[in-house]
Amino acid sequence: MKPPKFRYFAPRSVEEAVALLVEHADEARVLAGGQSLVPLMNMRLAHPDMLVDINGISELAYVRPWDGGLALGAMTRDATLERDTTAAARLPLLVEAAHCVGHPAIRNRSTVGGSIAHADPAAELPAVLLALNAAFEVRSRSGSRTISAQDFFKGYLSTDLKASELLTELRVPGLPSKAGSAFVEFSRREGDYALAGVAAVITLDEDGTIADARLGLCSVGPAPVRPQAAEALLRGQHPGDEAWDAAATAVITGLDNPPSDIHGSADYRRHLASVLTKEALASAAERAERNR
Amino acid sequence: MTTTTNSHTWIGKDIKRREDPDLLTGRAEYTGDVKLPGMLHAAVLRSPYAHARIVRIDTSAAKKVPGVHAVLTGREATVVLDPLPAFCAEPVVEHAIAVDKVRYAGEAVVAVAAESRYIAEDALELVQIEWEPLPPVIDVLEAMKPDAPKVHENLPSNVVYEHVFIFGDVDGDFARADHIMKRRLRWPRATAAPMEPAGAVCKYDPPSGRMEVWSTTNMLNYVGWLIAGSLKLAPHMVNFYPMYTGGSFGSKHVTSKVIAIAGALSKVTGHPVKFMEDRIDNLAANDAQAADRIYDAELAVTKEGKFLSLRLHAIDDYGAYFVFAITGNTNMMSQISGPYTIGSLENGIKAVLTNKNQQGVFRGAGSDVGNWVLERLVDATSDELGIDGIELRRRNFIQPNQFPYKMPTGNVYDSGNYPGVLDMALQHANLDYWRQEQVRARKLGRYIGIGLATCQQRSTYSATEFWFHNPGPATGLTTTAESVRIGIGPTGGITVTMFSPFWGNSPETVVSQVVGEEFGVDPTTVSVAYEGTSQGLPSAGPGGSRMTVMLSGAVQGAAAKVKEKMYKIAAHLLEASLDDMEVREGRVWVKGTDRSLSLTDIGMKAYWNKFDLPADMESGLEGSFTYDHPYTTAPSEDRKDLGVFYPIMGHAAHIPIVEVDIKTGQVKFLKYLAVHDVGTVVNPRSLQGQIRGGIAQGIGVALYEEVRYSPEGQNLTTTMNDYLVPTVAEVPHIEIYHHVTPSPFTAYGVKGGGEGGRMVAPPAVTRAVEDALKPLGVKIDELPMTPEKIVKWVTQAQAKTP
Repeated sequence: MKPPKFRYFAPRSVEEAVALLVEHADEARVLAGGQSLVPLMNMRLAHPDMLVDINGISELAYVRPWDGGLALGAMTRDATLERDTTAAARLPLLVEAAHCVGHPAIRNRSTVGGSIAHADPAAELPAVLLALNAAFEVRSRSGSRTISAQDFFKGYLSTDLKASELLTELRVPGLPSKAGSAFVEFSRREGDYALAGVAAVITLDEDGTIADARLGLCSVGPAPVRPQAAEALLRGQHPGDEAWDAAATAVITGLDNPPSDIHGSADYRRHLASVLTKEALASAAERAERNR
Repeated sequence: MTTTTNSHTWIGKDIKRREDPDLLTGRAEYTGDVKLPGMLHAAVLRSPYAHARIVRIDTSAAKKVPGVHAVLTGREATVVLDPLPAFCAEPVVEHAIAVDKVRYAGEAVVAVAAESRYIAEDALELVQIEWEPLPPVIDVLEAMKPDAPKVHENLPSNVVYEHVFIFGDVDGDFARADHIMKRRLRWPRATAAPMEPAGAVCKYDPPSGRMEVWSTTNMLNYVGWLIAGSLKLAPHMVNFYPMYTGGSFGSKHVTSKVIAIAGALSKVTGHPVKFMEDRIDNLAANDAQAADRIYDAELAVTKEGKFLSLRLHAIDDYGAYFVFAITGNTNMMSQISGPYTIGSLENGIKAVLTNKNQQGVFRGAGSDVGNWVLERLVDATSDELGIDGIELRRRNFIQPNQFPYKMPTGNVYDSGNYPGVLDMALQHANLDYWRQEQVRARKLGRYIGIGLATCQQRSTYSATEFWFHNPGPATGLTTTAESVRIGIGPTGGITVTMFSPFWGNSPETVVSQVVGEEFGVDPTTVSVAYEGTSQGLPSAGPGGSRMTVMLSGAVQGAAAKVKEKMYKIAAHLLEASLDDMEVREGRVWVKGTDRSLSLTDIGMKAYWNKFDLPADMESGLEGSFTYDHPYTTAPSEDRKDLGVFYPIMGHAAHIPIVEVDIKTGQVKFLKYLAVHDVGTVVNPRSLQGQIRGGIAQGIGVALYEEVRYSPEGQNLTTTMNDYLVPTVAEVPHIEIYHHVTPSPFTAYGVKGGGEGGRMVAPPAVTRAVEDALKPLGVKIDELPMTPEKIVKWVTQAQAKTP
């Protein structure tokens, strides 16, 4: 379990990193926390000719207030996000999800940008950021562009990010002050990839009906899932089992090709998606009720 | 926490493990730490097919990689390697590197030695192999069919061994029974998965024909000579060094394959060569996958709930080779009828070869399966006859006055107090509270379950079980001896030398506590050393929960020899009678007087003052002792009586309490209580470590662990992401109590306790989950109880009940 030979560059700035990626777009891979890429290289399932290690780019590691929400530098470690008080105050859902990523030793290395760029459908953050209407800033030689989460995730381990671009920032809009949110997942052991995970955000109207509902699911399709049909169903409903059951049914009806492996069949993941959708919605609504 | 008072000074004391400081500060040297000048690193190319013929291998490109010293195919390796040692009578031949044909995905096909492991793995990518894929034989029931493709062409069928052992009047007892409990039960293929994989460094010296071996094998003084044979070397020219081992759980008894690969490459290159399995190597090809059985199990019972007879028929998927023959099935015959007075029994065994990595030995060695099967039948009896499980067990327990107890297979249980152990468990379990909780929770839609298992934990392995397989005179039996040497130096310091290595247990702690007891010295002052094969005395090494018993006996024997000489010297110097000598508090005393000599006084005289010694005495003060198995007998020629082979019989009662989330299928522990009786306890701390670790692995097989193969024979569990060993987050706090029923046959009455946790937890946890789901009518016949299966069982049960 040793990687094949590769060339290694450790740029100190975004400009330097982008220049390397532009020059070597066909052969370079970006190394962030290395929690996915390095095992793949060790098992020789990935053979990059060249690594651009962005761990030395300190300007990419930050959590900042942004427009009522948060801006996260791509190199922010999950362990940092998990403990960030601004994040906890503004977007507790992010913190709750970051806590579910792997084990503490993994979170000390793994980065929010790495999770987004790798786009493993089992990862927590892509699903959560999808539900939060996040957008991602990417830099290239020609400047920068911003891609919405909705447009970013294309399929299994596939994104809109080009090989010559570097993901630099995650922008997460704030939620209405009365919104409630929850992230729940189920895994075989603590810290394993979830067999299904659900992020839910509920905003309640003055009369207690659901003004807005958002959902994001991981591990139940080739890419993170935003079940908009279920969200639409919930708007204007009264929070409660009836609404949650209907939403869960809509969620699993809309699932396209959930993965099936030794830890959970597609049917079991559908079942979990339903159970966890209800649980996440109920928990988010309860928190929203408390905030009302 | 013990029921008998302790009359010993050091035996039974809760002292810190002597092994821990080196292990916890990273000072212990493992095989992976060995670095020698000029040492090369090996890597192995593994078969992508479960079953295929090797048509052609082209290694020319690999050989050209700078830094590569040798690229060896299996056929080429036969020049320096003979087949691996096998402990079976059947002609199942295995090579360390496959010759002409592969029989499981992951089997070694080509080995490379290079200046780094990186280079070695680079070279492997350049090896070209032309394969002729053969139909894989994966499903065990398919493998048994007469027209199934054969894993080994030289065998008449994939059913490599088939025999029905019958003890007593089984048919008569079944005819007399009022009820017959029948179950088809499925035990999953688990694997030892130790933290440290297997590995070896071999250094061959061509001029002398000597080889030095640093390896993970823990039976070096037992089977080292056989591995030397595979390397075509004279056994006395090979020195195996004892190394620290990062866990074995049975998987490192022999590890001949890694030694053969490193040794062959060392012979070919003339350099020292290291081959360490990586995690994928280990999970794909370590030969430590364990029992994979389908049982048709029947228990004959009277209407009062008395067990009359047990009838088991197993189909066991052994994988592609047969290194230890059917030992997993014979091992359990030492305690197959459990703690119960079952009069007769039948044990049918069909050992089947398939295209999977082969079975080895894993903590419990098949007796874990036997316990689970028997307790499943006991629980079935409780449910079907409506007799409470506690009461049912009491009615069938062997009583304390019935020992030594000869059970139907011929094995003898030395001692026990099963009602006493159960009472102790109940005393701490607070079942009234939990039963109320269970009722309360069920009203809220929550499912709490109470488990109970009362099982045997045989200890002190005797290798006579290898002679059970086929009838005929049992000649060439070994007693599986263990040796130590005790030396007292000129300043009175005591050094003990062991001939089995450290493998994760506590041999240094045990030995120093027994020495402390024998000489009245503080155990922390005793020096403990390990010795390799060049200086080796007979030693079988750790396995079958034997080390504490065997080392205690060996130390006692060696101490007696040393004391005899000490007494002669002291009697001579103190002008007292030899019969009046005694040792305590580190001095030799004339009994009943204040006259004594210290160990330093005696040591100095023995070493340097020859003229002060009795005239006929030689200088020096040391004694070696080889402790033969304390009580073992040969099997009868017809194998109707297997003889005494695992008589040092421990016992345990476990009570886990779980909550099952029927929506997700998740099982959570609310409490876990274990009472173990392994005779006299030498060190409660190290014993509790064994019990906790064993229970963790028992929880593993109950809820998480299973080696899985695809229908094409790909191993789907070759990483720790996929082979799910429970972690600290999944294993609950375990409350442990010790009940003490000493053995009449061993030093101090010690019994072995290394495997009990894993042998008792699976049936206890199974029952806890079944009890939780009882209101839904779920019956559990297979492990592991994964969340998905639990949801399926609940859904099926709910569909049945309107």
